[in-house]
Amino acid sequence: MTAVVRPSDVAACAAALGDAARDRRTVRISGAATKAYLGQLRATDMTLETAGMAGIVDHVPADLTVTVAAGTRLADLQRALGERGQFLPLDPPHGDAATIGGIVASGSEGFGRLRYGGVRDNLIGTVVALADGTIAHPGGRVVKNVAGYDLNKLLIGSLGTLGVIAEATFKVLPLPSARGLAVVRCSGPAAAFAVADALVRAPLRASALAVEGTARGWITYVEAQGARAQVERAMQEASRAAAAAGATAERTDDESALAPARELPGTAADGALVRVALPIGAQRSFAESASRLDPFVRLVADAGSGIVRVHLRGDDAAVLRAADTLLAGASVVGGSARVERRAPSLRERLGAWGGPRPGGDFLMRRIKDAFDPAGVLEPGRSVVG
Amino acid sequence: MELLGEDKVLWRPQDLLLYEYDGAVDTSLPDAVVLPSETADVAKLARFCSQHQVPLVPRGAGTGLSGGAIPVFGGIVVSFARMSRILEIDVADMRAVVQPGLINLHLSTAAAPYGLYFVPDPSSQKACTLGGNVAENSGGPHTLAYGVTTNHVTGLEVVLSDGSVVRLGGKALEHEGYDLVGLFVGSEGTLGIVTEITVKLTPLPEDRRTILAAFPTMDQASETVSAIIAAGIVPAAIELMDALATEAVEAAVHAGYPLDADGILLVEVDGVRDGLDEQRERIEEICRAQGATTLRVATSTLDRERLWAGRKGAFAAMGRLAPDYYVQDGVIPRTRLPAILRHVREVGERYGVRIANVFHAGDGNLHPLILFDGSAGPAVLEEVKQAGFEIVAACVEAGGSLTGEHGIGMEKNCYMPLQFTAEDLATMRRIKAAWDPLGLMNPGKVFPTPGRCKEYDLRAAAPRGSARASRTGAPTPGARAEKKDRNA
Repeated sequence: MTAVVRPSDVAACAAALGDAARDRRTVRISGAATKAYLGQLRATDMTLETAGMAGIVDHVPADLTVTVAAGTRLADLQRALGERGQFLPLDPPHGDAATIGGIVASGSEGFGRLRYGGVRDNLIGTVVALADGTIAHPGGRVVKNVAGYDLNKLLIGSLGTLGVIAEATFKVLPLPSARGLAVVRCSGPAAAFAVADALVRAPLRASALAVEGTARGWITYVEAQGARAQVERAMQEASRAAAAAGATAERTDDESALAPARELPGTAADGALVRVALPIGAQRSFAESASRLDPFVRLVADAGSGIVRVHLRGDDAAVLRAADTLLAGASVVGGSARVERRAPSLRERLGAWGGPRPGGDFLMRRIKDAFDPAGVLEPGRSVVG
Repeated sequence: MELLGEDKVLWRPQDLLLYEYDGAVDTSLPDAVVLPSETADVAKLARFCSQHQVPLVPRGAGTGLSGGAIPVFGGIVVSFARMSRILEIDVADMRAVVQPGLINLHLSTAAAPYGLYFVPDPSSQKACTLGGNVAENSGGPHTLAYGVTTNHVTGLEVVLSDGSVVRLGGKALEHEGYDLVGLFVGSEGTLGIVTEITVKLTPLPEDRRTILAAFPTMDQASETVSAIIAAGIVPAAIELMDALATEAVEAAVHAGYPLDADGILLVEVDGVRDGLDEQRERIEEICRAQGATTLRVATSTLDRERLWAGRKGAFAAMGRLAPDYYVQDGVIPRTRLPAILRHVREVGERYGVRIANVFHAGDGNLHPLILFDGSAGPAVLEEVKQAGFEIVAACVEAGGSLTGEHGIGMEKNCYMPLQFTAEDLATMRRIKAAWDPLGLMNPGKVFPTPGRCKEYDLRAAAPRGSARASRTGAPTPGARAEKKDRNA
């Protein structure tokens, strides 16, 4: 049975990692385990759970910053910030259960990044336990800081391969006073992306521009947050863009209308879920091709950011072929791609990292070796290995 | 010279003199200057330098304020004056691909017909280059709402110290693996030399409101900054200027700033036209409640540009007050502004120097300009640097940073142990070694150099127990300095 350690602070966490590295015992790092499907999972000798490191360390509302222990659930943090009229502008999938550390380590993003930036734009500092048993403090607690190398960037999306994030400091914002959501039902992917494209070029700063496509139809969601007048203007522009694409924008008060699109990674447990990052202008053609693939089930795009997810379902051979087509499609336009999730039956034949090799992968390898020379942290899980 | 051709190399002493200084106060002569015209030139040069163990120091426009472009240990300065083209404005993908020598403002000018611009706008944007912006992770007045350089770069082409050329990221927002673009931005030329940059372009705001508010005291002006944020407004920019800075700016630029105020705030909101006037009214109300004596709103684009010309021309205007200035760049949590500004004044009085303040108040990013006369001898400069050190040490003590946007360079590398533990610095050194094992890329920057840094007695000057150190149980800065850095 895999041993489980649950350190209650960063010192204990660093000590546990130091021991593991000395004994060459491999370590899985787990927050709420909401994204246990990510990457190339290998069995490890032990699991380090971050749940014991939880709670808000420091919140200074007037500084618009918050420092939080990594095992804290995002939902709990948002509730506490909300009581002070603020929020952390991150809206990743699994938002009700996911922990801060897991969100950072997996680079988990939501639609709000179009307006507010993503994890890399809002994270300003971390406290990290390293494999040699030491503790590092990348960044700091102030919103602007260029002293030394920005190691926070390396941790985002590193899937635990460089160290364990024990604490994180973020920029936060005042809660918007108004919000609005428009649903635009479109004739197909071309119209849906035309609506999104018109709005991403306007100075609206929409808080979501999402496209969702299934065999039943194509929808563009336009969400705005901010002062009432700004929200109303965004909704007007959504109507105008919809009309230009031969569609109609409908306002909805149902705040959960975006949730199914956002939560696709959580629900696409069968078949394969391919996630690509594209130059935004390439999304429309990519979506049109994807929707013609036999195993196509559903597409969700963060159309303002060029992040497209395609859920494939069918017999294994067809899913494998379709996944390869999508991975190659991202590669030829200079994008990136991964198989974010796949059914257990496909694990052997469909790797997580079948997309283009990232530029500078030899530098990533050297960084990994410098941080974890014994290779005990999440071995093999990330594209770096 | 044979390597690249005579027209790409400067070596005569009179030519090299132009490259011994930048926007900061330290100088050092290069052995030669190379002006590449393409990436292959840089790669060839790097290979040559790695074979002969010669340091390489990249240089954009030389506007840097931490000595980043100064060849501390000699070697070759690589000037990007001839690699200054826009390679592509990709309207469909909202990206631009540029060479590092491109002047910051030229990019926004070129993208404007497409309704797009490049957000980071350092005050030196008419001269500074994108390569320099990437190296330093430059900011500017409008970073409060829109972020600094790192938030707007998606791809880089970099020449490594062994002469290999590597492409990182691209036009897409994300790439798999570690975020090497994010790591490289702000690495001050110590990891490699950037030869091509892909940046985000952002839709131009439809409209703006620019408000000038004058206050009888600096305390009132700085407390207004927190009051605006507390009201739930995050403006595009909040800049603060004291009476001394205003005096110089008015003499130089005639921006129309009131001369009878002790603190002047410049606040800008932008975006869609809808709701802007409501925001402006709320800001005006807050300013009035905090005791503003003058409130002015720019009535035209020309008027707005004049207000900003004053702010952006402030450093240059210091020549009206003194022959030289030394600018510091510390950051504090913005709620600590009134206290730190009192500290700055106290340091000025103690050292008998005049200090002007003009800075990004919304970010808590100070720019105290210490005025002096360098012709009075090197002892004066040392005194001035010591005064500057006391100010940044207090910033770190308040839970802040040594630098918000100017970089560590050769100016503050000795102070790094104030902000970072020995373990933090060792971690950064692992990164350095992974990219530049020979240590030829801009040596003498960022990291404390054993020989040069001995003269600073950090224990004597360091404040007691920084906020972070006391919270995490880490040793105090004084104790950190005593600890011998493992890799030093």
